[in-house]
Amino acid sequence: MSPDYGVFKTFAEANQWLAIWPELAYGTLALLLLMLEVLFPRYKNTLIPRVALTGQAILLVVLAATIRRVASPDAFGELLQFSVTGNIMRVFFAACGLAVCYIGGVYLKRERLPRVEFFHMVMVISAGMMLLVQSTHFIMLFVALETVTISLYLLVSYCRTSVASLEAGFKYLIQGGLSSAILLFGMVLIYGSAGNPLLPGTAGDPLAYSDIRVFFELNAHNYVAVIGALMVVSGVCFKIAAVPFHVWVGDIYQGAPTPVTAFLAVASKASGFIVLLGLVLGPFLPLAYIFKPLLAALAVITILFGNIAGVGQQNVKRIMGMSGIAHAGYLLIGVVAAFSVEMAVSAILFYLFVYMLASFGVFSVMAHVSREDDSIMLLEDYGDLLKDNPFLGSVLVVGLGSLAGIPPLAGFMGKLILFIAAFQAQLYVLLGVAIVGVVISISYYFGWIKAAVFRNPEVEPVHSTLYIPSRTMRVFMGVLTLLTISVGLYQGILSFVF
Amino acid sequence: MNMDLNAYLTVAGIIFSIGFFGVLLRRNALVMLMCLELMLNASNIALVAYSRYNATEQNQMMDGNTFVFFIITVAAAEVAVGLAIIVQLFRKTRTVMADELNTLRD
Repeated sequence: MSPDYGVFKTFAEANQWLAIWPELAYGTLALLLLMLEVLFPRYKNTLIPRVALTGQAILLVVLAATIRRVASPDAFGELLQFSVTGNIMRVFFAACGLAVCYIGGVYLKRERLPRVEFFHMVMVISAGMMLLVQSTHFIMLFVALETVTISLYLLVSYCRTSVASLEAGFKYLIQGGLSSAILLFGMVLIYGSAGNPLLPGTAGDPLAYSDIRVFFELNAHNYVAVIGALMVVSGVCFKIAAVPFHVWVGDIYQGAPTPVTAFLAVASKASGFIVLLGLVLGPFLPLAYIFKPLLAALAVITILFGNIAGVGQQNVKRIMGMSGIAHAGYLLIGVVAAFSVEMAVSAILFYLFVYMLASFGVFSVMAHVSREDDSIMLLEDYGDLLKDNPFLGSVLVVGLGSLAGIPPLAGFMGKLILFIAAFQAQLYVLLGVAIVGVVISISYYFGWIKAAVFRNPEVEPVHSTLYIPSRTMRVFMGVLTLLTISVGLYQGILSFVF
Repeated sequence: MNMDLNAYLTVAGIIFSIGFFGVLLRRNALVMLMCLELMLNASNIALVAYSRYNATEQNQMMDGNTFVFFIITVAAAEVAVGLAIIVQLFRKTRTVMADELNTLRD
């Protein structure tokens, strides 16, 4: 009896490891760092950060260069689906990981915290997010999501000598765990209903996106499955901090170490949006009759809440949190528009890149204007910043101006393109709310800029808290700022991405 | 005696609710962590029950059972991280009650 080698051939063809080389490279690099620490403990603080940063920079360049090269669309038995969007997000997360590692390296050195594990976990999270945004199967989605979330619990509580950081980590653990459990139960409900052999359109694999979509097309009103879909989407809404699920933002942004706050604000939010887009335009598209009005309502309250709660905050980390909620609201308009206008997806991607550039600019300034206790960063600490350190001051002003959407900075173009998409989708009410939100947001962004330009005469200047950026840090911040300005003037700079 | 699917789903639903309200209402950090685990395990029960009762001759529905192993692994990782954070927090603050943690506020 001759063995049947055809089975192995099928397996070999289904698993295309080369298609996920960036994720594998990140994982290998992350493990390599831990190994280097064991092998060369003496060079722990010199060799390893360099390996981590150069490795990531090389990966970023290679990813950006091969952005148009898409591996065969689906591999691993529909677990993952590769697309240009996926490649763009890979570049996005690579850039985020690099920036967080760089700011984190400077910050941790100052706080005398171990750096190797930080780099390790940031890389694991980057790889996890890359898999997350490309997954088209609930098992893959859940495992990638938990890889990201559990590592983020650790990063949030990374500063383990500080009660604030630990408390933030604990709160994130409880609230993140709750949202993952809800998401998981939603998946189970969909699995159960879509796999029911008595219903029309029974799925062969009721956890795969494509089969679930077929099921929903025939049973758009199966209430168990619809509740499941709602639970899944609410779990994702926790990640993007849309309003009823935003409770965690203030405390955790404040308590987490500043580079980790940046990571949460940019990369975690972006991954949530791409997953949300993939879900509502993929398997849940037949449920648009629920999700379109639901997400529109979420967008309205998210924009209004984020902007109103931002006014009057004194802690700049909380301001970034509230402004992040407001930005999530604008992006939700994009998601609603994406139901009818194709351009909305690229508008969202462009907005995410612009948001990343501006946020990392602001966060890198925040990492330099911090007190001993990282969780207390008050507006008054910024008094006279523009005069005492013009470089940090101007990076901050450009970053904040871009977040506020002042022309000609990149943030303005991002908002403009997003709003044009919303206009084409005839979402006039949402547009009106968004414009009201933008106007309110000017107040706290400019309050911050005002704090940096002038000084409150009643408060003593606190510039013992100002750390002077190193030369390479200046280059890094300068690049972010220049990109923010030039992308606003000429969007073609990002054409290597789009 | 043959139990039907609804019996399992009811148990899963009850356990999920116990976990959900436990996280919201209890203040002890360790109990909250246990409630999170209850919610994940409720999903496991429902998954196994669904994949047993939805199975047909043509489709054995094994992916539900496979998913359970992933969930168990993830839950273990979550507990490990959670306990580490809670222990370190206890060393710093000498309490495991969530409402006594109020360093972070507006």
